[in-house]
Amino acid sequence: MQKPHRILLDRVSAYADEGAAFMRRRRIARRPFARLYYAGGRSADHAQDSTAGAELFVAAGRLIEVAGPKKGARG
Amino acid sequence: MIQEARARDTVGSFSQMADARATTAPSSDSAEAALAFLAEMSPDLRGAAILGPEGEALAASGEDAERWGEDAGALLAAADAAEETPVEQVHIATEQGEVFAIRNEGLAAVAVTERFALASLLLFDMRSMLRELAKDGKGAS
Repeated sequence: MQKPHRILLDRVSAYADEGAAFMRRRRIARRPFARLYYAGGRSADHAQDSTAGAELFVAAGRLIEVAGPKKGARG
Repeated sequence: MIQEARARDTVGSFSQMADARATTAPSSDSAEAALAFLAEMSPDLRGAAILGPEGEALAASGEDAERWGEDAGALLAAADAAEETPVEQVHIATEQGEVFAIRNEGLAAVAVTERFALASLLLFDMRSMLRELAKDGKGAS
């Protein structure tokens, strides 16, 4: 029979592994999106290949350009 | 296309704000202080700007406040044009970073962050910042 503290440690590391896997999957699977929120809580997604989406992505790209890289970032 | 959005009157896009209650812009000093506070609160922030009721940049990261004003105005104009309705919040995630914009009390704020920033937290901070600034603007008037 396992000691009680081993069971606790196993459970904690299982949760940590689950969390790490979720974050890894999120990084790989997440695609670019443009989401607009309106009064009343309504929201709308615009695909990158739609007319409105393309305009939004271009405008966002300009802002990313003017912001530059994060201070202290390497490379 | 973006040029068309930019060519449209930026002031017009601000006058359509969903919540255009603040009429007096807060001081540039208080906008700078609010921006510094936001930067301190948000470790993923790369840059941000606060825009006044007329779409002018009251405070911005870096040297080029004018460009921040223009580009943020173009983003909000493009967002409003998407459904011909004024937007309250914008969240665009790209491979290079994420862009957030929010309107509150007649002011607007835009922020650029690293990828996977905590969106709800950042938008909450931005909204609080604008609310405080609007109070400051009303107090000064």
